[in-house]
Amino acid sequence: MDCYSFDRIISDYIDANLNVKLRQEANEHIEACPRCREKLADLKSILSKLSSMPTCKTRSDFESRLMDRINQTKEQKESRFIRMFQDYSRPISVVAAVMLLVATSIFVYTSVVIPNSPDSIPSAEIRSMEPNKSITPPATAIANVKPTLVNANNVGSLPDTNKVETQNYNNQIMMVNE
Amino acid sequence: MDREKIKYTDEELVKRFQEGDERAYIELVKRYKDRLLNFVYRYLNSFEQSEDVVQDTLMKLYTSAHMYREIAKFSTWIFTIAANLAKSELRRLKRRRVISIHSMGFDDKEYEIPSEDYDPAKETTSNYGEKQIQQAIDTLPDQFKTVIILREVQQLSYEEISQILGISIGTVKSRINRGRLRLQKLLKELKEQ
Ligand SMILES: [Zn+2]
Repeated sequence: MDCYSFDRIISDYIDANLNVKLRQEANEHIEACPRCREKLADLKSILSKLSSMPTCKTRSDFESRLMDRINQTKEQKESRFIRMFQDYSRPISVVAAVMLLVATSIFVYTSVVIPNSPDSIPSAEIRSMEPNKSITPPATAIANVKPTLVNANNVGSLPDTNKVETQNYNNQIMMVNE
Repeated sequence: MDREKIKYTDEELVKRFQEGDERAYIELVKRYKDRLLNFVYRYLNSFEQSEDVVQDTLMKLYTSAHMYREIAKFSTWIFTIAANLAKSELRRLKRRRVISIHSMGFDDKEYEIPSEDYDPAKETTSNYGEKQIQQAIDTLPDQFKTVIILREVQQLSYEEISQILGISIGTVKSRINRGRLRLQKLLKELKEQ
């Protein structure tokens, strides 16, 4: 073994990672070569110094600072959520109002227009609302009207489905415009 | 409580924390804060920044514990996080510090060719102080620095280092050998200055 080869295995020599044959060759070289002998001793002493370098400790408030940071992050997350909700609450209410409007119109449409046969009531007549004109609602339409509405708006008479639902519809529009 | 703590391995503690037990997290913090600090401190050579890196590492443990799978040792996993954070912190610090230890030109020769003018007398009295050794570590190229600290200061096995750095055991071995020789050479140069 020459010095160059010894340099290549010096680490394995120190960590006792060499097979018997290589170790034997290395030992023979060290005995014969002062350079490598000294180099090995020097490296060993550096490594032992390294392994016994003074250790440092975290400061005493390390854990409390860490927990503060964790709690802060939690709070930030929560407030971010609240802020996000606040930022979006206006658009959300507008969307909700529009959806309510659409839902109500669909309800009016399905409960008033569809149940009647196309030639019995033209849609324009729903809005004109002549009080004397008598419209006989089909059975299905009557079934759709809630009893409370019937009682509130048409006491003692056959419920006028068109009137009830249209009033309801107009109320919704007013609410949204407010 | 103290007697209870002893019976849990690191891996069991992470599992408990994953299941929502915050006391397990605190126990892991207690077990690892100083170990991690010693590693990061030797790497950055700055106490304040090292403590911050350890805080960040343990914050990551808090927020990302669900990412841990029991196929790896917990110590390996947490050291990987610390090593990565320390590495980016060092880059940041280097940009700031711009301290260079002069006349330490690194040629990227694989191994130092034994020189004729080698003087054993200089080496026999090798009595390096902590400061000198730290200075030499600071000057080591990063690929050697990390393995040297993990191996010599943290006393980790080749296998563990290989997992932490995501490199093969062969590469770990070769870097440890080259790193040790580099360190020796740097110390010799520091002494001669
Ligand atoms: Zn030799």
